[in-house]
Amino acid sequence: MTVPAAPGPAPAAAPGPVLACRQWADRRADVDPLTGTVTSDPRSAAASPADDAALECALRMATAWGTHVVAVTVGPPGSEAVLREALAAGAERAVRVDAPEPGDAASVAAAIAGVAGMVGARAVLCGDMGWGRGSGAVPALVAAVLDARQALGLVDLATDPEQPGVVTGWRRLDGGRRQHLRAAAPFVASVEGGVALLRRAPLAGVLGAGQATIEVVAPAGTCPVPSWTPSSTGPGRPRTHVVDGPDPDDPVRRRVELLTGLTAERPARRVVRAEPVDAAHQLIAALADWGEWS
Amino acid sequence: MSAPGSLTASDNAASSDAARFDAVVVGAGPAGSAAALVLARRGHRVCLLERGPYPGSKNMYGGVVYPRILDELLPGWWEEAPVQRWVTRRATMMLTADQALTVDFRSEAWGQPPYNGATALRPDFDAWLAAKAVDAGALLVTSTTATGLLRDGPGGTVGGVTTDRPGGDLRARVVVACDGVNSFLAKEAGLYGKPDPANYTLGAKEVLALPAATIEDRFALGPGQGADFEIIGCTGDIAGGGFLYTNRDSLAVGVVLHLPALAAAGVRPEQLIAGLKAHPAVAPLVAGGELVEYSAHLIPEGGYDMMPTLTGPGMLVAGDAAAMCLAAGIWLEGVNFAIGSGMAAGESAAEALERGDVSEGGLSGYERRLRDGFVLQDHRRLRHAPHLLLSDRVQRRYPQLACDIVEDLFTVTNPEPKPGIGRLVRRRVASSGVRLRHLAADSWRALRTFG
Repeated sequence: MTVPAAPGPAPAAAPGPVLACRQWADRRADVDPLTGTVTSDPRSAAASPADDAALECALRMATAWGTHVVAVTVGPPGSEAVLREALAAGAERAVRVDAPEPGDAASVAAAIAGVAGMVGARAVLCGDMGWGRGSGAVPALVAAVLDARQALGLVDLATDPEQPGVVTGWRRLDGGRRQHLRAAAPFVASVEGGVALLRRAPLAGVLGAGQATIEVVAPAGTCPVPSWTPSSTGPGRPRTHVVDGPDPDDPVRRRVELLTGLTAERPARRVVRAEPVDAAHQLIAALADWGEWS
Repeated sequence: MSAPGSLTASDNAASSDAARFDAVVVGAGPAGSAAALVLARRGHRVCLLERGPYPGSKNMYGGVVYPRILDELLPGWWEEAPVQRWVTRRATMMLTADQALTVDFRSEAWGQPPYNGATALRPDFDAWLAAKAVDAGALLVTSTTATGLLRDGPGGTVGGVTTDRPGGDLRARVVVACDGVNSFLAKEAGLYGKPDPANYTLGAKEVLALPAATIEDRFALGPGQGADFEIIGCTGDIAGGGFLYTNRDSLAVGVVLHLPALAAAGVRPEQLIAGLKAHPAVAPLVAGGELVEYSAHLIPEGGYDMMPTLTGPGMLVAGDAAAMCLAAGIWLEGVNFAIGSGMAAGESAAEALERGDVSEGGLSGYERRLRDGFVLQDHRRLRHAPHLLLSDRVQRRYPQLACDIVEDLFTVTNPEPKPGIGRLVRRRVASSGVRLRHLAADSWRALRTFG
């Protein structure tokens, strides 16, 4: 399924920097199975493989677009380690949003969006999940705050030097399917850890990063998050349907066909190209036709 | 788009001076950090290179540190050093299959400043010591491995190291190799002869989590006090020993195994640790402990006789890289020798740099310092201890003999009268197969070694 870029501002000829988000978290946090208490050691904290992949994508993107990378994290002074890694690998500038704890997704998103505005970023890249396998909501919230396009959960990301500000990529869908995306800046993208392997930082970069100045800014508050009331917090238990069985007098073959639907007529496959809202309506209508939506 | 006044990575990449130092210290363990600290305090530009993500991250250590060597370097170190427990109880256990003879000593004085020894977690201790070097001005570079030596000075003088990073040459007038027991730098420099596996042991340990109060109850310790148990006779046919140390809320229990004997026996170290933990004298101490770590590491136990040439043109070797680990039975020490040799290396390198002579002769003050101090004096005096302690009689026959004699001594066999102690000892010696001349010879060797 190919989704063309939605109408928006024309791609910028000389885009601003690419913002690479890096979450600082303990890789080996110990969770007490009885109390749920989390004990973490800042020394084993690091960026996740997905954040490393996002940084690598940002560096490649910046090279292709003729711009530079700004690395950002939200956390205490200890989190500057992940920024220095980014500087060593090739980021030109690093910003830490000062926070004793990273906070919830809304406050982290607001902080990142604030930095994106501060540096004039045209693209924001994040890992799709950190070590804590959180909600994954931060990139979408950043996109909402920035009113930018979003391309989330990418398993492949490519840039074209001939089209600065434009990326193409694939993302994973349910059922083993893939969706091809094309997005023009400004956009927020999140990538899986396997998208790219972070380059080995050169020694000169490491030496320079150790002494580089990290900009520290205050948190920007929080961003509006859609509120909802969960209908249920337990496991999903769909109702059972009473389905009439085939006539027991039918031959075995006929009964197997009826039970498995092997020979049943299926509606013709249709490929629909539509705007998201219209596509959603068409999906609902199709489900209703099939008796799967009431 | 850089912040005003900020130094960016690319700025540094453009500057070749960034990778040029007075000294590069390879390995941020106790030896390396001590050397870097001394050099930095003397005003030299030092790079402290560490292959792990942070100092201590690659260390496997389950022992006691004796940090009094820090008295001069870091006065009042005990007020801030990250120790687990101050060791106030030292015990030596001799085990047979179903017997245990323990010589147990405790001193309350060891639980007060300036203390004696402490259990410590090396990721804490090494990071603390490395931070002192950084505070003094050393540049710590982590996650970077030294892969070789740069030899571009006159006469093949070492002029720095290559690393596993792109553009990874670090140039320095002096290289201090503190890269651990398998020092590839010392070997590349030709400072080691042909390696002999008989000079190495394999230390394997488990860390068992237990509540602090449980540890204090079981080992009869006060809050903050620790115990150090050294054990012989627990490694079957393999020469070696065992240990049991108390951390704050965990125990380190393990074995040290003579490498050739381990290879010949075809036994896995964890089997021996399991056997040690199941021994009736040890099992109650470790019962209920949750296994939180298993690790193993080579130990250079050959002592003085396996040490490399300590100095080369533009290069010094210190710590485990120079085999400065003392395994002399009642004295099992390494960290203090590492710090001592690192300090001596730092002072000698600083002197050489200030004189402008980093040739082998210019760095010869290093070996002189070591010979004048405890590092080489202790090793030289105890050079025969490893051979004596790893002998079959000391490993197996004497523990059995001692346990049998003590069992006889304390076994009441009424209505028979008590035997005389002399008669009892003679009877046991005769039945043990230990010849008196061997006993006398070993006693004489022990006297000469430890006396």
